Amino acid sequence: MSKTVSKKSLFVCLIISLVLIIAGAFVFGFLGFNGNATMDDYTSIEVSDSGYMAFDDNFRASLQDFCSAEIEKGGYDVAAVKYNQSASGAGSSISFRLSDSGEGLDEFVDALSIAIDSGVENAELAVVSVTYHNVQNEAYYDFIWRTAVAAAVAAVVLFIYAAIRFKVGMGFTALIAAVHDVVITLAVVALLRVPVGVAFIGVAAYSLLISAFMNLMVFGKMRRDFRSDERKNLPAREGIALAVADSRKTVFVTAILLAAAFVVLGVAGAVVGIELLWFMLTGLMAVIASTYSSLCFAPAIYACIKEKSDAKRAEKAKYNYASDKQKSKEAKGVPAQEVVSETK
Amino acid sequence: MGKKKSVALIILVTVVLVGLLFLSVTPSFYVSTAQKFNSLLSIVDFGTDLGGGYYTVYYPEGVISRSEYDMLVEEYEETKATPETSDDVDNPAEHYFRKGGVYLSETVCDAEGNVTETFQAEFDSAFNALKVRFEDKNFADYSIKKQDDYTIRAEVPYTDESASTLFESFAYSGNLIFSDTDTSTTKKNVLMSGNAEYIKDASVANAGEDGYAVAINFTKAGRAKFAEITADLVEAASSDSSSSSSSSSSATIYMYVGTELLMQASLSNALDQDTVYISGSYSTRESAETIACVINSTLDENNVFNIQLDTSDIYEFAPTMGEHAALAAAIAIGVLVLAMLIFSLVRYKGMGLAHVYGFLTYALVLILCISLIDGIVVNAGGLLAIILSAAIMTSFNWYAFANIRSEFAGGKTLTASIKAGYKKSLALTIDVHIVLVVLSAILYFISLGTVQYMSLIFLLGSVISAACTLAITRFYLYMFLAQPKNKIAFCNFKREETEDE
Repeated sequence: MSKTVSKKSLFVCLIISLVLIIAGAFVFGFLGFNGNATMDDYTSIEVSDSGYMAFDDNFRASLQDFCSAEIEKGGYDVAAVKYNQSASGAGSSISFRLSDSGEGLDEFVDALSIAIDSGVENAELAVVSVTYHNVQNEAYYDFIWRTAVAAAVAAVVLFIYAAIRFKVGMGFTALIAAVHDVVITLAVVALLRVPVGVAFIGVAAYSLLISAFMNLMVFGKMRRDFRSDERKNLPAREGIALAVADSRKTVFVTAILLAAAFVVLGVAGAVVGIELLWFMLTGLMAVIASTYSSLCFAPAIYACIKEKSDAKRAEKAKYNYASDKQKSKEAKGVPAQEVVSETK
Repeated sequence: MGKKKSVALIILVTVVLVGLLFLSVTPSFYVSTAQKFNSLLSIVDFGTDLGGGYYTVYYPEGVISRSEYDMLVEEYEETKATPETSDDVDNPAEHYFRKGGVYLSETVCDAEGNVTETFQAEFDSAFNALKVRFEDKNFADYSIKKQDDYTIRAEVPYTDESASTLFESFAYSGNLIFSDTDTSTTKKNVLMSGNAEYIKDASVANAGEDGYAVAINFTKAGRAKFAEITADLVEAASSDSSSSSSSSSSATIYMYVGTELLMQASLSNALDQDTVYISGSYSTRESAETIACVINSTLDENNVFNIQLDTSDIYEFAPTMGEHAALAAAIAIGVLVLAMLIFSLVRYKGMGLAHVYGFLTYALVLILCISLIDGIVVNAGGLLAIILSAAIMTSFNWYAFANIRSEFAGGKTLTASIKAGYKKSLALTIDVHIVLVVLSAILYFISLGTVQYMSLIFLLGSVISAACTLAITRFYLYMFLAQPKNKIAFCNFKREETEDE
């Protein structure tokens, strides 16, 4: 039973976590996170008009098809096509996002502009203009730092609350588990090159919250067990293992509910737009990390802490015959030296 | 609880829940030709990832777009075709250099077509100032990008304020000044500079019937200076009115950023106070926030730039996570909730019914909060928060039911089992909810953007979940338990028969 929280299991957990974190850190250090469409630098060809597209869907469709075909013929790959409508209704544009930074776009957009005039019906009415843009993304450092500080403060508060309401060892373990879960989530996402955007920072914060929830569920069961007559005298590892086994169902139920939500939303995302799928995948990783941590990693750490604290307490509580005898001899006036030799 | 009371309560609660469900999820429809019914879900504010938004491209003076250049060429060719005016217009090709998707005027380039150092420095400064302004505005998500090296592309979610006012206000260049010169005169008389020496910061305050106000917090020196200039203005106005025997003696103070009027206020007496509130023009909090952001950015000298930015075209863009991402997410969550409720009913029967009512209460109250509380924006992070708080609510209800089941299996009566089961799960339920509320509050107050909005939704979700788990579901359970004859079977429990020996 106590195998799950044995020293060997802690060692295995630490190795798994360290390998993932180090590998993730390396990948992040060299390549960073894999930015999604909202984070990447990109080149796009933009075909705009004075608003004709907005009220003539057929024209818009024929213009889009014509341009897509011409861009492909020109040797460029289109990664995404987006239609944008002027807020005042006075113009509209179709943006063809290219997979890579295209060469020779100056000449190509000029040629495409001429081709549209001759190849698309009513193009002269729509006053079509063709251009291209290179867009460079900017990182949001302030936003990231503020969230990192908030997460750090939240982790410390988690430690304090768990230390007061549960036990200091549990608070310490909850803190380690929270940091571990957030870092593991970030590392796995970096390692698997899952495309992420600005919202990914939300997944990191979410990972902290779910870690706190799942770990406290397990610690709650332990707290109750350690107060019950039936289990309070069990050896540390055995008691923890029993509590983990009992709370496994609750943790799994929550994890399954969350995972089901992410899978269904991910599937919906695959239909409407791939970015939602990637985002839900990162959420799923946070759930897996927290489930693993609350059922394997954190109990194994806490077992070590509890074992040591129990041993210390037992040591303190042990009846000290030697000092007792010494005291009584001292009271009778016998030198202390003799007592020491006697106890040998 | 008596049977009659229980029936009345069941009917009442059901009617309320069905009513709220109708208000929340019914698709929008026209009640009459002029009036449209909008469900609560349809008025939820979304971030750019789920709801799309506006974008604009800021063109610094000296940089024009391809379409603008094409118009200049067209104009040139038309003028050239007319013999009388052929010498009056310059050939744009001689004055502009093509640089990617934009054209650079010779005023910002050297002979080889490279931009001058002065322009580059001014552009960088403008870019940084815009970054600060948009960041300070604290959208649920936004982006500021350099486009074609010399223009700035800004994307923001849909807001309650006018997008053009937002983008134009953020483009204001120059220093902040207090003046008595009105907008008709280009050269402004500077009464007081709006810098960090005089102004601590600007914020937004609720102005009651007037909507919202921009609050300017002065430093000690700023307060004294502002009191002095307002006293002078009021004195000048009263002496003018007495000399012209006019009844009005109020003066007007104008606040400009560069030459652009930021706001103006009428003064009837000198203002000697730490904070001055200027209201009247801001019907939404967002519009007042925009002005406060511009003021705050100009207080730092590094964010003051002197080139003009043009924002003539504003476009709407589709959600970055897919055209119908929000609808797909809502349907997916709806299907999941339905599956969970059916499972709950099958697994726990009567207790499951209490959970169904409890969960619906939780979901509907959360929808009410999200749609009606100003400032809540649902983005992808918000979806995570909703899912997590719903899962926590469900888990704790099931946890309590499992405890009731184990107590009943231990030989207690049903009523005693319910009491003991809830008592058993009380401490952990309270502890976990307190921790989650505190953590989300910390994240809300310290972080920015996506995480802040996500934390706010999770904070609300956790509070509602706590109330529904600890009190409301339990109340519903007692309400339903008053009805069946066989309460044990109603709760899907079986009492094991023990043989008498």
